[in-house]
Amino acid sequence: LSAERAAAKIERLGFDVGYRLCERLAQSKPLGPGLPPPGSAGAAAAGGAVDPAAMQLEAVKFLCKEFWTEVFRKQIDKLQTNHRGVFVLKDHELRWLRRLPPEDETARVAAIKMLAFPCGLIRGALSNLGIAAVVSCDFLADGKNMAACSFNIKIKS
Amino acid sequence: MSKSSASASGHALWSKMPKANTELFALTYGSLVTELIRDYDNADEVNSQLDRIGHSIGVRCVDEFLSKAEVGGINIPPCQTMKDTADVVARIGFRMFLGVSAEVANHAPDGSAFSLFLYDNPLSIFVELPTAEEAAVISGGRGGCDLSKIKYSNIYCGVIRGALEQVNLKVDCRFVRDV
Repeated sequence: LSAERAAAKIERLGFDVGYRLCERLAQSKPLGPGLPPPGSAGAAAAGGAVDPAAMQLEAVKFLCKEFWTEVFRKQIDKLQTNHRGVFVLKDHELRWLRRLPPEDETARVAAIKMLAFPCGLIRGALSNLGIAAVVSCDFLADGKNMAACSFNIKIKS
Repeated sequence: MSKSSASASGHALWSKMPKANTELFALTYGSLVTELIRDYDNADEVNSQLDRIGHSIGVRCVDEFLSKAEVGGINIPPCQTMKDTADVVARIGFRMFLGVSAEVANHAPDGSAFSLFLYDNPLSIFVELPTAEEAAVISGGRGGCDLSKIKYSNIYCGVIRGALEQVNLKVDCRFVRDV
């Protein structure tokens, strides 16, 4: 099984899990003032007065806080956005990557493979919140800390 | 090993383990099984793959189990009979890794077999498997996978088999009934 196909499979696994997990987690949490709960039909149409960019920001913040805490038991460390549909989420210590041997090339390769799952988780969670996006990841390890990574979300417009 | 001390050990070891979100665990396993069905499209093949995956996990579980017990100062006396093994697996092993104990019953008269009952299976909290008739409808005439024949939690069989193999006990583990 080639590397790209394997990565695509893992990303798809992450997507399914992220979608369902978000459904469960978002049920009891209102997404900011004046926003209809996710999953209700015609939410986008009904929210005529709601600024879509604000809603996207609320969704991504929910992802960084509640969703990330449920999965990784901590929040995202740094969120950046250009307010035009691009978000960068940085996690300085991802639990799943903590035990990788430092400064090891095979470890880098393995980490990048593993990061496909969280990418899918993010894409799935956003999809459940009604936002279509493309998610990619970067491995930020600097030799000593092998668990730093960042996720780039580009909202499809 | 007395029942209550085994349960206490199990609980103590469980509290020392780092935990993960149950829903994440169950959903991830579900996605894995779905991918396997998509890949192999044959119930027996899926079952044997789950068993194989479980085997790899079980082999590593035993080391974790024994080392954590030693570090935690929990004494697990060597098992004299199959009955002891059954108790250790069910009360301590399952408890430590899953947080739920299994019940042991149905010891064979010659002490060579036993049954484990798992009442609260964390893997299948969101899952419904179709019955044979429903499965026939789902596969349509595709000749594909008979979903009702899938042993959803078959990974447990592999884990038990792999773990006991590491302590030199060759066992055969089969699902009698799945939810």
